[in-house]
Amino acid sequence: MSAIDVSALTKRFGQRAALDRVTFEVHSGEVFGLLGPNGAGKTTTVRILTGLLSPTEGEATVCGLSVRDGGESLRRSVGLLTENPGLYDRLTARENLLFFIKLNELEPSAAWMRAASYLARFGLAGREDEPCGSYSKGMRQKLAIVRAIVHQPKILFLDEPTSGLDPEAARTVRDAIAELAADGSTIVLCSHNLFEVEQLCRRVAVIKTKLLAVATIDSLRKADPVLEIHLAGDPARFSSAVASLPFVPEVSVSDSALRVHLQREDQAPDVISCLASAGARIYSAVPTHTPFEQVYLDLIRQQEVG
Amino acid sequence: MAFHPRRAVAVFWKDFLDLRKNKGLLWTMAALPAVLVLVPVGIVYGYAHDPGDPSLRTMALFYDPHVQLSVNAARFLIDKTLTDWFGLYLIMPVFVPIFISSQSVAGEKERRTLEPLLASPVTAAEILAGKSVASLVPAVALSVLAFILLCVLVDAVAWPFTHELLLPNQMWLFGVLVIAPLFAFFGNGVAVLVSARVAEARMAQQLSGLVTLPLIGLVGGQLAGLLKAGTVYYAVEGGVVLLLDAALIVATVRLFDRERLISRWV
Repeated sequence: MSAIDVSALTKRFGQRAALDRVTFEVHSGEVFGLLGPNGAGKTTTVRILTGLLSPTEGEATVCGLSVRDGGESLRRSVGLLTENPGLYDRLTARENLLFFIKLNELEPSAAWMRAASYLARFGLAGREDEPCGSYSKGMRQKLAIVRAIVHQPKILFLDEPTSGLDPEAARTVRDAIAELAADGSTIVLCSHNLFEVEQLCRRVAVIKTKLLAVATIDSLRKADPVLEIHLAGDPARFSSAVASLPFVPEVSVSDSALRVHLQREDQAPDVISCLASAGARIYSAVPTHTPFEQVYLDLIRQQEVG
Repeated sequence: MAFHPRRAVAVFWKDFLDLRKNKGLLWTMAALPAVLVLVPVGIVYGYAHDPGDPSLRTMALFYDPHVQLSVNAARFLIDKTLTDWFGLYLIMPVFVPIFISSQSVAGEKERRTLEPLLASPVTAAEILAGKSVASLVPAVALSVLAFILLCVLVDAVAWPFTHELLLPNQMWLFGVLVIAPLFAFFGNGVAVLVSARVAEARMAQQLSGLVTLPLIGLVGGQLAGLLKAGTVYYAVEGGVVLLLDAALIVATVRLFDRERLISRWV
């Protein structure tokens, strides 16, 4: 079942198109990555899906509510973590959270109990009466996550949740997101950190004003598998033999290994047979996939060329 | 879109709490009433301390060439000072909301707190109402407290000479309780409008502060003897500001649109 359904979504600011006919869906309970370079329209997409902006054209539903007229009901159904935590620095963590508990018109004691349990889970217990201005970046980001989920939203939008954090703080925030994902939350993660996206997401959409791809990370990487073969002697001697195979689009030599691009993984045995027939002595043949970063960059470059 | 008073109260509570913890802003806010109270007390003390000074008659004749010889010049000047000073005193209810609203409205943008706020169920009208009350309550309270202090100090320094209470009088009571809130509303409305157009709270304060210039100009006219202040004069000022308040309400309600705020401010 779709938690989010986006269809030909377009947003223009004056003459400039921030989003152009973007279509994708997010399934209930999945962690979905929204990728793209700076200015690609990720934040605009999130703002439309959280009811902050109206689309110029197209339609999107979030939890079955139209983003055009979902209004308050839509905003109650979603939680948003913005790139900057946006906390009130002079107020304590407790006061910050109580403010949002009141805005969501939740029963204060029950909502605070829930918030306190999240604070404990994210390592912030005992610090709730300190001003947020005294918090470290990682603590602020975790507190902002608690604020985004204190009203138990059906869908959580995280916009660059680890941006600007040191590796340790980024790790703790990633762990917090993984915990929420394990609980079955539907999460939309916007990030430039492809390592983080690979760790947390199963499916992604790559956008650059237009939609460039929407698929599982595995299928994007498997679209172009590579067989890395270590041979005795100079591997370049065998490259022409392998290149003559009709299903091999590209052969290269790197680090004393032969890198054979395949169309499908099940073509690997045919490559091995070909090399053996050509007299090659094979130490190892390991199927690898194009790094996700390379897949992403190729998609962006293809759009730039196109 | 229904208006939920509880959410507007939550915005008020948060802004009020934030103001209480903003020591710098509190000191800035306190400086203005201190000046507006101590200066007239000093002037009244000067007149009351040496009422027989012959130069006072010359000053009285400058302001009113028809002043009778039977009228005590010191008393005339004390009454004139207290009447004219109300024009300057009105700067306080205008300026205090400008300080607060610029911080709380443009400050939301500077601190990047606006987007999470707008992503919550609260409506733009509730934000506007909560923030306006959080700005108006301290402004009106400060105006009343400063007035009480002014009454006590003026009467204390003038009593040995006048042997009667000069303040509160009818004009000041009408001014503090009716006109000052109208001016506070005006200051708040201007600060909200300007905050929506500029990037920083400081710039919003500086630009909004320009609205006090006409007030200062009017007081200049009074001191130059060109304008004669009194209850009717201040009531006319209040009437003009009431009309401006109505125009500001229309403008701010139109401006406080969620999409406009998010695309312009964030």
